Amino acid sequence: MKALVLVKHVPDSNSVFRLNASGTWVDETNLSFTVNDFDRYALEELLKLKDAGRVEEVVALTVGPAQAGAALRTCLATGADRAVHIKDEALAGSDPFVVARAIHAAIASEGFSLILGGLQADDDNHTQVGGLVAGLLDWPFASAAVRLSLVDPSTLRVDRELENNEVQVVDITLPAVVTVQTGMNTPRYASLKGIMAAKKKPVATLALSNLGLAPEDVGAKLRTVSLAPPPKGKSAEILTGSPEEIAKALVGRIREKTGVL
Amino acid sequence: MAKVLVLAEHDGKNLKEISFELLGMAHRVASGATVKALLLGEGVSELASKLSERGANEVIHVEGSALRHYTGEGYRRALVPLLEEELPDLVLLGHTPNGWDLAPLLAARFAAPAATGCSKIVLENGKGRFTRKAFNGKFIHEIEVGSARPMIATVEKGASSPVEGATTGTVRSVAAAVAESDLRTRHVEIKKAEAGGLDLSQATIIVSAGRGVGAPEKLEVVRALAEALGGQLGASRAVTDAGWLPHEHQIGSSGVSVSPKLYVACGISGAIQHVVGMKSSAYIVAINKDADAPIFGVADVGVVGDLFEIVPALTKAVKEAKP
Repeated sequence: MKALVLVKHVPDSNSVFRLNASGTWVDETNLSFTVNDFDRYALEELLKLKDAGRVEEVVALTVGPAQAGAALRTCLATGADRAVHIKDEALAGSDPFVVARAIHAAIASEGFSLILGGLQADDDNHTQVGGLVAGLLDWPFASAAVRLSLVDPSTLRVDRELENNEVQVVDITLPAVVTVQTGMNTPRYASLKGIMAAKKKPVATLALSNLGLAPEDVGAKLRTVSLAPPPKGKSAEILTGSPEEIAKALVGRIREKTGVL
Repeated sequence: MAKVLVLAEHDGKNLKEISFELLGMAHRVASGATVKALLLGEGVSELASKLSERGANEVIHVEGSALRHYTGEGYRRALVPLLEEELPDLVLLGHTPNGWDLAPLLAARFAAPAATGCSKIVLENGKGRFTRKAFNGKFIHEIEVGSARPMIATVEKGASSPVEGATTGTVRSVAAAVAESDLRTRHVEIKKAEAGGLDLSQATIIVSAGRGVGAPEKLEVVRALAEALGGQLGASRAVTDAGWLPHEHQIGSSGVSVSPKLYVACGISGAIQHVVGMKSSAYIVAINKDADAPIFGVADVGVVGDLFEIVPALTKAVKEAKP
């Protein structure tokens, strides 16, 4: 079967972020970008299925500007067989629905049996694209998978992460869309051989016109008003000094406030 | 006046607290209009009356064996005809594993705008304004939605207080428009994630390590402080995902919730998923190199600095202070 992984090129979440001049997003000019962490686990899960002979072809897809092609090259170098890059200036400032609509248009006739993606993106945290794609395709969907296994060629068993250390186990009939949690596997890194091989792997670039979509089909439903640092509510008392002075002060606070020392 | 619908969450026996919080928020948003609760399940009529006593003016109780357990597909198929009939302005779900599973499925069906993880919602002049978090809590993200209806939102736990005092509402029971045999999703079971017997929920002292420790061998610095204090070692998701500690050490929404007398966060930035699991600790100490880290917003006392300098010094001072 053919499988698809949805990936997003996002700023490294360990970056020091500054706001842009209009206060509507972070200033992305000097940030280093990477494959969204959640999506790396989704790719690894498909590569494991391919290693086991359960999946024949793994395709990576992203929606984003030219620089997002780097995320696809990483996926190809890590083991994906080919890539699809949906790129169009009309998609700048898009929202999850627009992204899902473009993905749906690009893959509806591809014949995928399984689509995996990350539960959420580390930048906007919307947690929507996987479910929207499933909804548009009218395929079964399960989110926040921490374990996947093929019960038979048409049934996927998914452990969905709930709260308080619980999981829900569901069996879903393929074709289906599943989003994954971090930590479910150990994502492999690209080998030098993989990086060389990736240069020969095909990347299809699609604009909206290739997808049968007009710019008015992709009007965003969500408009960002502002992005701002969280308000300082209850703020911690910040201790300063040498490590020894700080340690002494902390022991004093802990003794006074908690009685555990 | 806006028509707001709330999806109740339950485990078959009890309603989850988020259901009451959603009703509270719905009344604030609806400014006087009727608030309806949607209750889906099998054999849950007792829960319907509880919703009507705590803020739902009307409970639409959808009964069916296909809804015995939550599945995104079953809930979506039962809800779509109801929403087509009710034509709400806004549908509220919890920002919970089932809420974030279902919200995009409904949004796709109605080509509806959806806002997730909201802490505040305001409807004004026909526009919806939603306050949420982005960049894992490092920023507050305000978004606006125009005239498209329905709007769908998932609401953070604790963002809204329940309705005060007892209320009276009506209950309308309907049969689910979906049968088990229609579904391509089958619930198998709900089970505990694998664990080795550690129970942090009752610990008095917890010292936790986050991404800032950088490498598994460096965890020992944090472990030494936990031992000196006579406490347990906890972790943020980054540490358990990397396999540096087993999952049972994870504190937060998907791990364990704790409320010790003393919580020391070492190299933890304070993503919302972690904070919800530890913010009820009696006294919180945070050590982090990033002065802007959200953890300093929940801590009582903080140190901006290198944990590999501060934590060993603290371990030494604790040992000296002990009788």
